[in-house]
Amino acid sequence: MAQVLDKPVELRAPVTPAERTARRKALMEWIAVHSLGVAAALFFTLPFVFVFLTSLMSDSQALSRDLIPHTWEWGNYKKVFDTPGFLTWWKNTLIYAGLGTVLTVVSSIPVAYALAKFRFRGRNLSLMLVISMMMLPPQVVIIPMYLFWAKQLDLSGTLWPLIIPMAFGDAFSIFLLRQFLMTIPNEYLDAAKVDGCGEFKTLVRVVLPMAKPGIAAVALFQFFYAWNDYFGPQIYASENPGAWTLSYGLESFKGAHHTDWNLTMAATVLVMAPVILVFFFAQKAFVEGVTLTGVKG
Amino acid sequence: MPGTSRKTPITSRKAAVALAASASLALLTTACTGQSSSGASDDASKDVTINFWHAWSAASELSAVKSLVAGFEKAHPNIHVNVVGNMTDDKINQALRTGGGKSPDVISSFTTNNVGKFCSSGALVDLNPFFKKDGIDPETTFPKAMNEYTQFDGNRCTAPLLGDAYGLYYNKTEFKKAGITSPPKTWSEFEADAKKLTISKGDSYSQLGFMPNYHGWESTTEHLFAQFSPTYFDKSGKSALATDPAFKAGFTLQKKLVDELGGFKKLESYRSTLGDEWGDKHPFHTGQVAMQLDGEWRLGMATAANPKLDIGVAPLPVPDDQVAQYGKGYITGTITGIAANSKKQNAAWEFVKYITTDTDAVVGFSNAIHNVPSTLAALKSPKLKYDPRFKTFLDIASNQYSTTSPASINGGVYLTTIQNLGYDYESGKVKDLDSALKSTAKQIDTDIAQAK
Amino acid sequence: MSTVTLAKKRRPPGLAAKQRKQALRTLAFMSPWLIGFAVFFAYPLISTVYFSFMHYDGFKPPTWVGTKNWTYVFKNYPYFWPAMRNTLWLVVVMVSLRVVFGLGVGLLITKIKTATGVFRTLFYLPYLAPPVAATMAFAFLLNPGTGPVNSLLEKVGIPAPGWFNDPTWSKPALTLLALWGIGDLMVIFMAALLDVPQEQYEAAELDGASAWQRFRYVTLPNISPIVMFAVVTGVIQTMQYYTQPLIAGKVASGVIQGAGTQFEPGYPEKSTLTLPQLVYNLGFQRFDYGSACVVALVLFALSMVFTAFLMRRRGGLNLAGD
Repeated sequence: MAQVLDKPVELRAPVTPAERTARRKALMEWIAVHSLGVAAALFFTLPFVFVFLTSLMSDSQALSRDLIPHTWEWGNYKKVFDTPGFLTWWKNTLIYAGLGTVLTVVSSIPVAYALAKFRFRGRNLSLMLVISMMMLPPQVVIIPMYLFWAKQLDLSGTLWPLIIPMAFGDAFSIFLLRQFLMTIPNEYLDAAKVDGCGEFKTLVRVVLPMAKPGIAAVALFQFFYAWNDYFGPQIYASENPGAWTLSYGLESFKGAHHTDWNLTMAATVLVMAPVILVFFFAQKAFVEGVTLTGVKG
Repeated sequence: MPGTSRKTPITSRKAAVALAASASLALLTTACTGQSSSGASDDASKDVTINFWHAWSAASELSAVKSLVAGFEKAHPNIHVNVVGNMTDDKINQALRTGGGKSPDVISSFTTNNVGKFCSSGALVDLNPFFKKDGIDPETTFPKAMNEYTQFDGNRCTAPLLGDAYGLYYNKTEFKKAGITSPPKTWSEFEADAKKLTISKGDSYSQLGFMPNYHGWESTTEHLFAQFSPTYFDKSGKSALATDPAFKAGFTLQKKLVDELGGFKKLESYRSTLGDEWGDKHPFHTGQVAMQLDGEWRLGMATAANPKLDIGVAPLPVPDDQVAQYGKGYITGTITGIAANSKKQNAAWEFVKYITTDTDAVVGFSNAIHNVPSTLAALKSPKLKYDPRFKTFLDIASNQYSTTSPASINGGVYLTTIQNLGYDYESGKVKDLDSALKSTAKQIDTDIAQAK
Repeated sequence: MSTVTLAKKRRPPGLAAKQRKQALRTLAFMSPWLIGFAVFFAYPLISTVYFSFMHYDGFKPPTWVGTKNWTYVFKNYPYFWPAMRNTLWLVVVMVSLRVVFGLGVGLLITKIKTATGVFRTLFYLPYLAPPVAATMAFAFLLNPGTGPVNSLLEKVGIPAPGWFNDPTWSKPALTLLALWGIGDLMVIFMAALLDVPQEQYEAAELDGASAWQRFRYVTLPNISPIVMFAVVTGVIQTMQYYTQPLIAGKVASGVIQGAGTQFEPGYPEKSTLTLPQLVYNLGFQRFDYGSACVVALVLFALSMVFTAFLMRRRGGLNLAGD
C-alpha cells in the first residue's frame, strides 16, 4: 500500500495477499483484453487473408471449399492486368480522384475560412445549408443533374460531370476544414492584419501553413471518396468503357469472369491495395480527420 | 437601424438568389425541349463511320462479330463500323436517350421484350420505310415468330439478328442408368423422369434430374410457361394472367415438381453450390443436373467444356393435353435497330440490311456463334454448318406452334412481375395462387398504365 | 447624447465603403460554394419537384400528369414499401449494432497496452476497403456453397445460413459487412473515450465503484454527445445505403452483366432493396423519370428530418462558432 508505493524503483515480488489479488486481477484483465483484441484482429484481418489466398488459387480450386491454395498461381495477377480496360480503369480513377481532390481543396478553403473567421449575416444559415448538403444522398438530385449533363452538355460517358462540381467546393470538405480552421487562434490573424495583410493574404501566408494537417485530412477524404465512388461512375461513365473507374470496372470484371473467383479476388486485391498503402503513409492525417468530424473539434 | 451598412449584404444576397432563380428557370426550360432532330438525310455513299453497340461478351462471340463487320466493310468500303461490345440494355437505353457523338447509330440487344419500349418511345426508328425503299418484304424474309417480336403496334423498329430456340438437353448416360429410353414428351413423363434421375445424398443431391427453381438460369417463368402456349394480354391490352388457365397450370405443375424433388430449400441450397451459367462448370456439363432447359447455344458450350458428355437434344415437353403440339418451343432472339438520334441513318441502314438479310452473312454469323439463323433463306441454306443435334432447334424455330413473349410498352417489366410471383409461390411465401394471380395481373396493368 | 447624434448624422466617411468592401470580400470567398449550391443543389432540387409531376421517358417531351407518379409510387410500385421496411430494419438493427460495436471496439483499443498501434491499424483497415471490393469479398466469403465461412461452420457443426442468398440472412450479412468496416466509429469513440477526464474515474474508484458502475456513471455521460452524433449520422448514412446492397444482390443472384435478362432488384426476394436503388431502377432501368423523382423526394424528406434533428441537438457541431 502506501509504504510499498513509497519505496524506490526496485521491484520485488508481491508480499501481501491484497497485492497478490490485485496483481492477479490485473493479469487476468490483461489476458482478457488481449484475447478479445486478438479475436477482433482476426475478425478484421481474416477476410483480407482469405481473399488474398483465393486470388492465388487455380481456376478449379477457387470453386472448391479449400482455404489454402495448392499451387500458388501468381500469374492470376498478370491475367488481371492484361484484362482489356484494367489499366484504363486505373488511369481514370487516378484522374477522377486526383484532379477532383485538387479542385475540391482549392475551392473549399476560402469558403471554410469565411465560415470560420468572418462575421456576416447569413453565416449560420450558410453553415446549416452546408451541413444539409453534406447529408444529402446523391440520388435525390441525380435525375435533373443527369439530364443536365447528358442532354444539355453531352458529357455523359465521361467523368466530367463528377469532376466539375468539385471545383465549387464540397460540403463535407468545407465543414471539416471549417472545424479545423476554427481552432486557429485569432491572434495570428490579427497579427497578420496589423502587418498590413488583407484577408486573402492572411489566408495564404499565415493560415494555410498552419492548416496543413486539416488540409491533408480533407484531401485524403476526398481522394478516397472519389476512389471508392460507385454510383457516380455508374450513372455517368457506364456507357463508355473508356471512362470506367476501378469500382465500376470491378463489377463488370466479375460479370465477364463469371465464377472465376480467383481472378475476381485478385482484381479485388488490386483495387483495395492502393488505398491501404496510402493509409500506411498517411495514418496520422487520417485519424485526425476522422476525429475532426465527430468530436467537438 | 436602417442604413447602407445593412443594405449591401442583403442586396448582394438577393442578387445571388435572383441570379440562381433565373438560371434555373432558363435551364429548366431548355431541359424540357426535345432532342435535336435527325432524319435519314445522310448520303450513304460518302465516307462515314457509324457506331455499333452490341451485347455479346465472350471471346468467341466478339471475334464472330468482328468477321461479320469485316464482311460488311468489304462490301461497303466507304462505311466504317466502330464496334463496342458488352453493352447491356441499361447502357444502350441511356445512350439512345442522350444522343451525341459517342452514342450508337446501330444497336443490338438480347432482350426482345424491350422492343415495345424501343418502338413506343421512339428510341429506334421505324424500319418499314427502309425495307420498302429497298424492296424487301419482311413477312417473306423472316420467320413468323420473329416478325412478331420485332414490332409493336405497327411500328417495326427492329429486325431480327439471329434467333434463339429453347429445348431440352439431357444426359444420355444418366438416362441409360435410370432406364429411360427416350426423352419425355409430356409433362407427366417429364415429372416421372426427373424423379427417377434424382439421387439424394444426405441433405443434398449427388445428381438432380432437373432444376425447377425459377432462379435456375434459364428455367424462368417466361421459358417454362411457353410450353403451355399462354396468352399474356387480352384484346384490350390487359394482362390475362388470371384468366388464361395456362398460367395457373404452369405455376401449379412447377410447384409440384419442386416439392417432389426435395422441396424449395433443399433445391436452393443445391443450386447455390452449382457452377455459373456461362462457365465451364455448368451443372449440365458436370453431370450434376441430368436435364436442362436451355437455348441452342448450350450445345456448343457443353461439347467444348466436356467433350465426353453424351448429350441428347429434344424439344421441351408439352402439357399432357397438348401432346399434339409436341415439337414447339420458346423462340426469342437478338434484335437490332437504328437509333432515332443517329445522324447517319442511311449508312446505318446499309449495315442493318446486310447483317439481317444478306444470306451468306447471316449463315456465317450463325455458324460462328451457334445461334439459329433469322431468315427463311438462311434456315434452308446448304452452307449452314451444324451438329445434327442442332437441327432440333432449327425445327423448333420453324414450328408453327412455337411461341414468344409479346412486346409491351414498358419492356420486360411484366415478365419480371410474373417472375417475382414465381419466386414467391415456389418458396411457399404465397399460398393462395388464385388471388395472387389476380393481384399480379392488376400490378401488370398498373405498371403499363404508368408507362403510358 | 449629442455626440451620438453627431455620430448618427455624420458617419465616418469610410465606413459604408469598408462595409461594402467586406461584403464583397465575403461574397468572393464564399462564391465557389454559392455557385455550387445554386447549380448543384437548389436548381436540381426544384427540378426534381417539377419532374415528379411530369411523365418523362427521355424521348418525348415531358407532359404534365399531376399526382399520377405519386399515386403510383406509394400505392402500386411493388418495390417501394419493401424498401421502406428494409430502411427501417437497417436503421433499427444496423445502426444500433454499429454504434454498440464501435463503442466496444473503441473501448477495447483504449485498454490494449501492448502494440496498440498495430491493433488500431488492423481494426481500422477494413474501413478503407472500397465498398465494391469489400462487398464482393464478402459475397465470396459468405457464398453458401463454396465460401470459407460456411465450410468452417460446417466443420464445427453449426448450421450454415444462406447469407446473401437467403432473404432472412441477407440483411444480417450486410450488417456483418458494415461491422467489419467499423474503423470510422472506432476512431471517433476512441478519441471521445480518451477525452473523459481521468479525475472522474479516480474519484469513482475511490468511492468504490465497480468497473461497470464507472462505465455507466462516468464514461457514458461524458461520451453521450458522441454516441448521439454516431447514431444520427448512422441513420443519415442508411438513407444513402446503395452500393453494398446492390452489389451483394447482383453477385449473389448470379446475374451477369452481359446477359439480356432484366435485373431483379433487391435479390433475394426484395430483401436488400433500399430507396436509392429505387431511384436507379425507376430512372435508369424503367426510364420513368417522374416516379424516380418522387422516390428522390421521399429520400430527401427523410434525410432532412434527421439532419434537422442533428442540428437541433448540435452534438459536436459547434454551430455558434468561436
